Parts: sequence; C-alpha cells; structure tokens
Amino acid sequence: MLLGIDVGGTYTDAVVVAGGKVLSQAKAPTTHDDLLHGILGALDQVLAGVDPAAIGRVALSTTIVTNAVVEGRLEKVGLLLLPGPGMDISSLVPERPWLLSGYIDHRGRETSPPKEAEVAAACRDLADREVFAVAGKFAIRNPLHEQAVADWLRRHTGPAHITLGSAVAGSLNFWRRANSAYYNAAVWRHFGRFARAAQAAVAGRGVTAPVHILKADGGTMPLAAAGSRPVEAVFTGPAASVLGIMALAAPQGEAVSLDIGGTTTDIALWRDGAPLFAERGAKIGDYPTAVRSFWLRSIGVGGDSCVRREGGRLTVGPERRGPAMALGGPVPTVSDAMIVAGAADFGDKGKAIEAMRITAAGGESVQDAARAVLAVAADAIYTAIGKMIDERAAEPVYRVEDAVRDRRPQPAVLVGVGGASAGLAPLVAERLGVRCSVPAGAMVANAVGAAAARPTIEVTLRADTAQGYYTVAELGLRATLPSRRFSLADARDLASSHLAERAAAAGIPVVDVESVYDEEFNLVRGFSTTGKIIACRLQIKPGVFTTQEGA
Amino acid sequence: MAVKPFGLVFFPAFDWALTPTHPEREERLLYTRDQIVEEGLLDIPGIREYKPRLATLRDADRVHIGVPDIASHITDAHLVSAGGAITAAEAVIKGEVARAFALVRPPGHHAMRVVHGTRGFCTINIEAVMAEHLRRHHGVRRVAIVDTDVHHGDGTQDIFYHDPDTLFISFHQDGRTLYPGSGFTDEAGSPRAYGTTLNLPLPPGTTDEGLHYVLDNLIIPVLEDFRPDIVINSAGQDNHYSDPLANMAITAQGYASLAAKLKADIAVLEGGYSIEDALPYVNTGIILAMAGLDYSRVVEPDIAAAPHGLTDGARAYLRELVARQSALWRDREQLGTVAAAKAGDFWTRRRGIYYDDSGISEQQVEKLRICPRCHGYLTVASEAEGHHCGYQSAFAAVVPREPCPACRQGAKDAVLAAKRQGKYQHYIIQDKENDLLERV
Repeated sequence: MLLGIDVGGTYTDAVVVAGGKVLSQAKAPTTHDDLLHGILGALDQVLAGVDPAAIGRVALSTTIVTNAVVEGRLEKVGLLLLPGPGMDISSLVPERPWLLSGYIDHRGRETSPPKEAEVAAACRDLADREVFAVAGKFAIRNPLHEQAVADWLRRHTGPAHITLGSAVAGSLNFWRRANSAYYNAAVWRHFGRFARAAQAAVAGRGVTAPVHILKADGGTMPLAAAGSRPVEAVFTGPAASVLGIMALAAPQGEAVSLDIGGTTTDIALWRDGAPLFAERGAKIGDYPTAVRSFWLRSIGVGGDSCVRREGGRLTVGPERRGPAMALGGPVPTVSDAMIVAGAADFGDKGKAIEAMRITAAGGESVQDAARAVLAVAADAIYTAIGKMIDERAAEPVYRVEDAVRDRRPQPAVLVGVGGASAGLAPLVAERLGVRCSVPAGAMVANAVGAAAARPTIEVTLRADTAQGYYTVAELGLRATLPSRRFSLADARDLASSHLAERAAAAGIPVVDVESVYDEEFNLVRGFSTTGKIIACRLQIKPGVFTTQEGA
Repeated sequence: MAVKPFGLVFFPAFDWALTPTHPEREERLLYTRDQIVEEGLLDIPGIREYKPRLATLRDADRVHIGVPDIASHITDAHLVSAGGAITAAEAVIKGEVARAFALVRPPGHHAMRVVHGTRGFCTINIEAVMAEHLRRHHGVRRVAIVDTDVHHGDGTQDIFYHDPDTLFISFHQDGRTLYPGSGFTDEAGSPRAYGTTLNLPLPPGTTDEGLHYVLDNLIIPVLEDFRPDIVINSAGQDNHYSDPLANMAITAQGYASLAAKLKADIAVLEGGYSIEDALPYVNTGIILAMAGLDYSRVVEPDIAAAPHGLTDGARAYLRELVARQSALWRDREQLGTVAAAKAGDFWTRRRGIYYDDSGISEQQVEKLRICPRCHGYLTVASEAEGHHCGYQSAFAAVVPREPCPACRQGAKDAVLAAKRQGKYQHYIIQDKENDLLERV
C-alpha cells in the first residue's frame, strides 16, 4: 500500500492506494503557519482502519519550499560566482554576488585559476552568512574550481551548508544554475527542519516505510536525499496533479490534460504517454532556474471563478469572490452554472438558479445562461491550449531534420481532473474535436499522483575524447576516459553505471531508464578528425507504480 | 533591459556539413551554442528566440537564376538558413523586436545571381533572398548591406551591382591576399548604380583601431547619407585574430562595438571559422551589443595573443582609402554619368567565375541596357564546365523591378533571339516586376 499526501492551497488531501484502487481518502484544512499540523490531520484520518505497518511508502507533495519562496522566508546566502568573460549577471541574480576570478572554458579547460585570497576576503565580508552557493561558468564541464572555492570556504569560515551550481543541474546555463544554487541554499535549513519533523511524526504513527518527497519533475526522492537538494521540491502541486492523471487515466499518444480546480486550470500537453517538460527549467519568482519541471500553463478559470456581465459581455474569472452561490457565496460562479446545467450536483440548487437569473441576459432562460457561462469558460481554456500548441510548434530547433518536420502537437484525447472537470472538460474536448476522459477519482488526483509517483534521478555524461576525459556533473565527477575509441553507445553504458551508483546512494531502485538527450560531434582540426564530443543524459523515467482504476 | 526585445534566430544546423571535415561542418557553431546557452542569453527578458521558417524556392528564384534550376543545387539546410534570415527580418519589420540577428548556417554571401554550384561555402545568398523578400512583401525600397566578413562579399555585390536602391559596402582583407580575390575600389557598380557598391580592402593585420577608423569616417557617414529603409549586416566573424583562414587582428570587443555603432536592423551570420577561440565570444558580444546590453566583459581568454598596434604604413593606407572612397561617394552621380556615356546603349562585362567547392569554371557575359527611364534590362550568357557537372549553359534576361515598356520587351526579345540561335541549353526570364522566373 502506498500513502500519498498533497498539501494544497485550501485542503491537504491524503490517500492510501493499493492494487489499482484508492482504499482510503481523507481531507483536512491546510494549516499555513505549520504545514505539518494539517498533514498529520489528514494522515491520521486516512490511516483510520489501515495497518500502518502495511504502508510501503509515504510520499509528500508539499508547498513547504514554494511557500518559503513566495513568503520570502529565505535565509541570507553567501553567493559566490565565477563568471569569467561574458554577460554580467550580477544584477540578474536574487542576491548581490561576490565575483571571483578563475575561468573554465566551453571545453572544460582552465584558462585562469581561482584565487584563495579572494575567497578569504569574501568570507570576511560575508561573516553573517552560514549557507553558501558557489556557481562557475562551465563548471558542469569541470567542477574543480567550484570544489576548490568550497574547500576554501570551509577553511576560512564555518559554513552550515554549501550548494554547488554544477551539482544542482547537469545542463548548460550558468545563470539558471546560479539561481538554482542560491534558492537551494536559501531554503536548505527551513526544509531540513520540516523534513526531520515529518519523518519523526510519520514514524510516531507506526509507519515504518520510507518517506519520500515529490519533486517538480514528477519524481520522488527519499527525504534524506532531498535534504541536500530541497530546491527540487518546489512547485510540486501541479506535478502531483499530472502524475495523478498518469495514474488514473494513463493517456497514450498525444494528449492534453486539465486540472480544473477552484480558481485555476492547469494545462499540460502529453506526448507518447508522458507530459512535456519545460525544457530549460522552472522559474522561481522572477528568476529562471535549472529545476526540471513539467511544462504547465495555469489560467484563471475554475469552479469558483466569478461570473459577470461587462457591457453586455459575459466574462468568467480570473477572480474568485467566494464559493458558489449554491454554497452561500456572494456572486454567481462557474459552479452555479454547472449545477443549473446538470453537470454538478451539490449545494442549494435554488441559489444556483438564482445565480443564473442574475447572469442571464434580457429574455434568456437560466438554462441558456448556464450554458453560455460554461461556453465562455471552456473557450478561455480552449484558447490557452491553442496558444500552448502554437508555442510548442514555434520552439526553436537546431537540426535541419527537425526544422523541416512539422512538430505541431495534435492531441487526440483530453483528460480532465479536479473538482470542476466534469462540467468543463467535455466542452473543451468538443471545441478541440477530441475524445474526453474524466477518470473516476479525479477529485483526489493530486494525492493519488504523490502516492503513486516513482522515484527518479538523472545523470548527464559528457565525454571529450580529444582531451581524454569525461564529466558527470551531478556527481561532481571528472575522470579519465577508459579509451580514446569511445562511442555514444559506450557513453550510454558508462552513464548508466553512474546512474546506478547515484541511485544507490539515494536509495532509489533502478527501473525504466531512458535516454532523454544525446549529441555527438566530430572534432576536426586541420582537416582531420581528432576526437569526438559526446553528451548524453539518462534518467529514471518519471512515472507511476501502477495504474489506478477508480475510487 | 531593452524596451523592445532583440530577436535571435539561432540555427546551427547540427546535422549538416558540406563534407565531413570541411570548415562548414556540424561542429562549427557547437561552441557558440555552448556559450550562448551557458551565458543564459536565451533567457534574458530582452531577447526573444525565433524558430527559422523555411524559405521557398520562389524566394530563391526571386534572386537567383539556377542552372538548370536552383532546386538541383540546394539542400533543406539552405532553405532553413535563408528562411532564418527572413524570420529575423520579419520580426523587425512587424515591430516585434527592435533588431534581430540570424545566427544561421550555411552562409550565402559568395552566391551570385547565376548559380551553377557552391562557391566559398555558399549556394544561395541568404541576405539577398531576405532583402528581396522584404521588397516584395513588406514595401521596403532602400536597402543597405554592410558586409563585415573578412572575405569580399562578391556574391552580394554581383546581385546588386546594377541596383541603385541597394547600397553594398564591404570591408575585407585585401583581395590580393585572400579568397575570392576581388573587392577592389574600382568595383563600384554599373553606370546607373555607380557608387552604391563600395569596397574597402584592408591590409592584413588590421586591428580594431584601423577597422573603427574606416567605420567612423566612411561607413557610418555614407550610411547616414544613403538614408536606407533598412540596414543589414552580413556579419562574418573571420576578421578575428584567431581565424585560421585569414590574417586580420579584430577582437570580440572590436566586433561588438562595431555592432553597437552600426545599429543594423538585421544581422546575418556569414563566415568565421575560429570555432572555439573566436565565435563563442564574438557572437556573445554581437548579441549583447545589438540587444543594447553591456558587452564590456566579453573578452577572449587568450586576448594576450591578439596582435595590436597598426603600422604607420597601414595607418597612411587607411587614411588614403577613406579619402578616396569618400570622394567616390561624393562624386558618384557625376562619375556614373561619365561611365554611362562611355558605355553607350549597353554596358558589358565579361568575367570568369570559379566555384571552388564544386570545381566549376563559369564564363559569363553580362549586358545591361543603359536606360534613361528604368534600371535597364540585363542579359546574362553563362557557360560553365566542371568535373562532376560537365558542361551547362544558360541565357537569361532580367526584367527590373519597375521596367519601362521598352526594357520589358527588350528582355523578352533578347531571350527569344538567343533561343532561335540555340547556342545555350536553358533560356530563362527573371521578371522582377511580376515576381516570376520563366523558362522559355
């Protein structure tokens, strides 16, 4: 049995799932000042009548990191950058950085060394900081400078924690890695405290299973491993929902999914049964980071979106002014329209009818008014989906083969989850001309997603056979190549052994490994081939343990 | 941050090479990709990246006369590269961005009007295809092209040699010392377009100082005087001190400040083959400069290796060059009238053109009607011979954009007359008024 908990903006949901079924579900109000309180409330309810020893894993999707960022509960970070030549990012990072000399070029070669005296000076200036982030340009191709700076920090000050930019992500983009490293250090202590408390509280209820946390990329990691990479646990709510959709509906081929909640609809596009990723990483506040996440669009349309006429024109959302009138709210909402249209059945139907009477244009019946409201809401979602498809089709490509092929997504099915999906998803599907599926259990999709999410981990290997070395950024590894005759297939083999090593260290089983990216270039100098540059990234595919069938 | 963003079309064609070890190979923009992605340039709010569209054969036919046709010489890569230039230009024209850079390959500035094959790594002229697209679809008339590649942009010069509405300025390493061996000061345009081709051969070893002297004292004033609707920069990067195919001494800072001063609406990458030591830095510098951002920290790690200091001889030569070409620009109308009078009814030029990549020698005779009412129709008789292609020949006539009735008829008559004689394999009319390429 798997236990999943999703901390939402209003409610904390918990489910126990097993053998493709939701065995137990519970709901408790989210306690914003102390998230753990609400989590334990939901946990105690969901465990009623369940043997805690039979739980195989607990997975948490929590807003602990997101809230810390949004509410500015961030620890002061000593941010040290080795930018080398290029764009000046000093004013583009969340904290005034210390700039250090020393440069690693695009091939991972040192072109000038870092200086210990500069780090010592930085330590004097940053005497009030206990957590540090160090990021160097091209450090993913040679982490030695970042590591040297970390050593000097330990020598000259007593850091509680140091995040290295090369360890937070294996992909190019110094600016994003610097931002990621900063946020990772800034939430490290706060997250650690939460993680220890959560671990202890779960154990205190007789659950002996490991506790995992959900990441923005839809994978989980053990709380212990998450301690050093807390930034990856940002924005897990939408990721949980997407995983829930995978668990409940398993859309195949190309699809679009909607999580239609109280105030917003989260939209995701799917290809080959998997949600599309935001290629470069998530944005935290105003800062782009290297945190891997699903590519989602959130629009202000949901069940509680207020409905009004402006100059005769019907508008829906984006504001919420309270619950549906059927539930005692002050203004007509989308949910009231759904109740009148027969797509939902809760609250006081008389008040819902009253809401549609307020909404109706002169001479319009309440049924017609309800249909009009739902059409406007569905149209807003439909338009947003169209924009996402356009953006995807317009995404730059770097190969001729990809430039001449039309890559425009063509979803064949729409999956809707969330409280307001039953009323709206079929209308959006009709506009798109695709099949619609609203799986049973859709109301607790997020918690199901957290429960069923598999642990994931990735490694990025880059080999430079002309120089005879390779790096695995996530491991801080730079090592000699076993042979100069080294192929892409060899690189994948080597990467997969490092993936196994990294997984073992994090306590993650190695299943369903996939190659997410590779490239191979011949190096030609003076009209002859002198070597190859090979890069590949392997990951344990984000996914779910089992497909759930109904609540 | 710029008020209006800067547009970037980046297309490194990672799966395309002329031949596996050719300078135009997959690896060429790999380190440039590494640098601009690593810098985070594609995430800056003031920079918007565009996916290149595909140019059409019609876009190419508007500029080129392919023998037997353009399609038999090009690959999809050429259509993406030319399409990338068009994408950049349209982003500017539509006002989505203030300026744009098509950082694309394969390059184009050695591709001439008539195309029998590939020369100087170029098959179709991507700037010319872009410029004529703007003229046809976006009402642009006066175009200025500044070619900052180390090699003379002989293809672009050829295409616009008779067009007084297109100013073509090229600085380059002196043609006596470098491919393609042209671009001397006496190549100044045919009589009706005299002075709108301006060549600035620079001595090998020219530094930032020398280049900026020419830029400040000649190129910028001439551009201001011409008052173009649009300024295009053929942004080759092989004047860099580390380029393996040339002998100049320009730095990334020199290129970036050039871009900042030139303020081109659209830049299009041309050559540049120091793929590790120059391109990552020069491209970063140009992008930042065009986007109006600080580029002062973009310095090559091996900057100590850059030669510096101009010789007194070079300094004197550059002063004399600027003086001579300034005079040519000032007196261009009068000089054009003299040249027209000397030519009579038709201006004629015979040339040999070599396609180094395809191993083809072409012999070409151009005849341009010196017409008082329009740009005049042009005929081109072309015979080419090569290892692989054997013999191929064509007789073509070009109807100018706004032809007088006599020139429209004259072009047609000339092709029909040549066809009756039957000396050539292909007979073609390129009609710029109606945007057609007809086989007769």
